[in-house]
Amino acid sequence: MIKVKHLRKVYRTGKEKVRALDDISLELGKGEFCCIVGASGSGKSTLLNQLAGLEKPTRGSVTIDGENISEMNENQLAAFRQKKLGFVFQSYNLLPTMTALENVALPLMFKGVPRKKREKLAKEQLKKMGLGKRVRHKPTEMSGGQQQRVGIARAFVGKPAVIFADEPTGNLDSHTTVQVMNAILELIREYQITFVMVTHERDLAVCADRIITLRDGKVLRDERIEHPQKAYILPEGEQDSDLDDHSWDEEPDKKKTDTTVELIGQIGQTVHRAKTVQESQNNPNEGNSKGEQGK
Amino acid sequence: MKISDLLSLSFENLRRRKGRTILTIIGVVVGTCSIVVMVSLGIAMNVGFDEMISEWGDLTQIQVYNWTGNTEVPKLDDEMVKTLASIEHVKVATPLYRPQYLNGQLFAGKNDRYQAYAEILGIYPEAAQELEYQLVSGKYLTEASTSGKKLPVLVGQYTGYSFTDTKKRGDSAYRWQGQTDARGNPLDPFVDVEKDKIYFKTYKNEENDEQLSYELDVVGVMLEDYKKGYITSQGVLMDLDLIKKLEKEYMRANGIKDANYDKQGYSEIYVKVDDVDNVEQVEKAIKEYGYETYSMSSERENMQEQSRMIQLILGGLGAVSLFVAALSIANTMTMAIYERTREIGVMKVLGCKLGKIRQMFLLEAGMIGFVGGLVGIIVSYLLSFVLNYFGPMLQGAIMMLPMYGSKMSVIPLWLAALGLLFSTAIGVVSGIMPANRAVKISALEAIRHE
Ligand SMILES: Nc1ncnc2c1ncn2[C@@H]1O[C@H](COP(=O)(O)OP(=O)(O)OP(=O)(O)O)[C@@H](O)[C@H]1O
Ligand SMILES: [Mg+2]
Repeated sequence: MIKVKHLRKVYRTGKEKVRALDDISLELGKGEFCCIVGASGSGKSTLLNQLAGLEKPTRGSVTIDGENISEMNENQLAAFRQKKLGFVFQSYNLLPTMTALENVALPLMFKGVPRKKREKLAKEQLKKMGLGKRVRHKPTEMSGGQQQRVGIARAFVGKPAVIFADEPTGNLDSHTTVQVMNAILELIREYQITFVMVTHERDLAVCADRIITLRDGKVLRDERIEHPQKAYILPEGEQDSDLDDHSWDEEPDKKKTDTTVELIGQIGQTVHRAKTVQESQNNPNEGNSKGEQGK
Repeated sequence: MKISDLLSLSFENLRRRKGRTILTIIGVVVGTCSIVVMVSLGIAMNVGFDEMISEWGDLTQIQVYNWTGNTEVPKLDDEMVKTLASIEHVKVATPLYRPQYLNGQLFAGKNDRYQAYAEILGIYPEAAQELEYQLVSGKYLTEASTSGKKLPVLVGQYTGYSFTDTKKRGDSAYRWQGQTDARGNPLDPFVDVEKDKIYFKTYKNEENDEQLSYELDVVGVMLEDYKKGYITSQGVLMDLDLIKKLEKEYMRANGIKDANYDKQGYSEIYVKVDDVDNVEQVEKAIKEYGYETYSMSSERENMQEQSRMIQLILGGLGAVSLFVAALSIANTMTMAIYERTREIGVMKVLGCKLGKIRQMFLLEAGMIGFVGGLVGIIVSYLLSFVLNYFGPMLQGAIMMLPMYGSKMSVIPLWLAALGLLFSTAIGVVSGIMPANRAVKISALEAIRHE
């Protein structure tokens, strides 16, 4: 799906050169969930921006779905993004004047989808994100978690081939992070979307098929997880259903299975395995297989 | 992306910055208003001139004079009139001859009870029709009718009213148009020019001179038309040759001698041109013979030249304020772009093409121009109404105000349309630079900045 060849990015600030990316080559398959982790300043955001064609590489190329995006001009890129890409931002980046519905419908509008149709699709997507009752709300009238769910709905509404997310949960508390992450997981599996996420919290990578660790602009480690965890749950000691975001107005698809623990769908099931997962974080491969067995 | 979406996006963007948008629109309103109203003053001047001129006379008629008797200028005799008549685009050329010597009066009724002093002019018989003297009844003069005993004439529509009753005194000796009796019934003139016998009788210079008397034969009654002159109202029009013959008979009967009588030319003739647009050309050709001319067209030309200058100055003044409005649109749009940098970045990342972003800003600027122009034109019509309503009063106080016709400000539809088009175009043009700036915004920088 995504092919990166000898990618370099060098920033010049005055006379100083910063090698943000240094000869990176990798390949991501269709429907793969890839986490890019690393220390601050290691080049995660830079890599993501290159992959998404938001910035031109100094050298090397990025090919998505057979198309070399490094050679495209701005208009071709815009057309390509319309068709194939979706984005989730750390700071949500919703248009402040538009309602949740209009924000979600925005990418479809750029595609030229008629108003009625795109609003219907957007509404469905918002319902999946548990925001069926917040359709007419403006971003300023919503919490950060709710805004990010709108942002996610916006990224998924066009069912793109690839979605990029730069620290999508960076501004959220840990309880909201669980909900948001699980919402994302469910959608990428449903639609078979390639998902590339930057994070500096390794915890978040437990559900990924692939974890790429960067250091100083180079790939330090490239791990494939055979049996990733199906859902993300809270680290031990932080479980407290009273802190959950109750704004989900309806369950997405699944029924509540555990009435005592007010979590939704898979989270509800996986809460019981919190301990196992805790272990898995120390050793992701092993932990995940244990997690599977635990089920 | 659909046009309707683009429109609603742009509109929404303007709406959310209501205060600033309204201020900018007011600028455009003022600009449009000042141009439209200024130009409307000039147009009203033109309309006024035309009103004035068409009241004064016939636009396709040229008067040719030869007062001076300057020997270098050819005599304006019948031969010469024919020459002028043969100039291209000339329909007819004729003198309206006022006899120098012939002196007399019209009489009618028993024992010449009713008398009238009517102006009698000589014309080429076929020319009356060509000069567009309309008839209420009867027919035009013809060459043939010159023979015979009676004098064939055309009379004005109200020539009958020029007769007075010599048997009465004071008001009752007169009849006038629109006069009614005590019960409100209209009163006819003393003489019915078409039925009663009317005589033209000359005065005697000395007691033993012979008095000449001729009976008139009214062949037609002309429609009163101020543009053609008093003759159509209460005058008498007669074959030119006939009137000269009368004059000679009169001279003989009263012992008047003038050796040059047959040699002199006319001092004034009328030339009728086929179209207003050809008047200038014909007039020029006539002037080349050395004659002086006068026409409403040349008068009109002068006036329009004047008003064109005034319109230009006024329009220029208006244009300055629209230019200021354009600057304020550009400023508003630039501000909007700074504020919306992040939004523009997000749109780009979500796949909005550059062209659409440009169009969005141009549309916004164009909308400001359009709405400003529309409101400006509505306000202009109101102002125009107020000016026309209060103009006459104001004019007394301020002599400066130009007002020639019945109106002070006239806004034709084309001016309104042009004003709207112009203001919209100004809006779009002032949006170009800001729009290009928006297009250049780097998506990455924009979404990065907090
Ligand atoms: N526009 C730029 N101009 C100059 N240097 C830059 C630019 N963007 C990034 N860098 C440099 O490139 C390196 C990688 O930056 P990057 O933003 O990719 O880090 P990161 O891994 O995303 O860090 P964080 O976890 O803090 O977000 C840093 O050393 C940074 O200073
Ligand atoms: Mg970063």
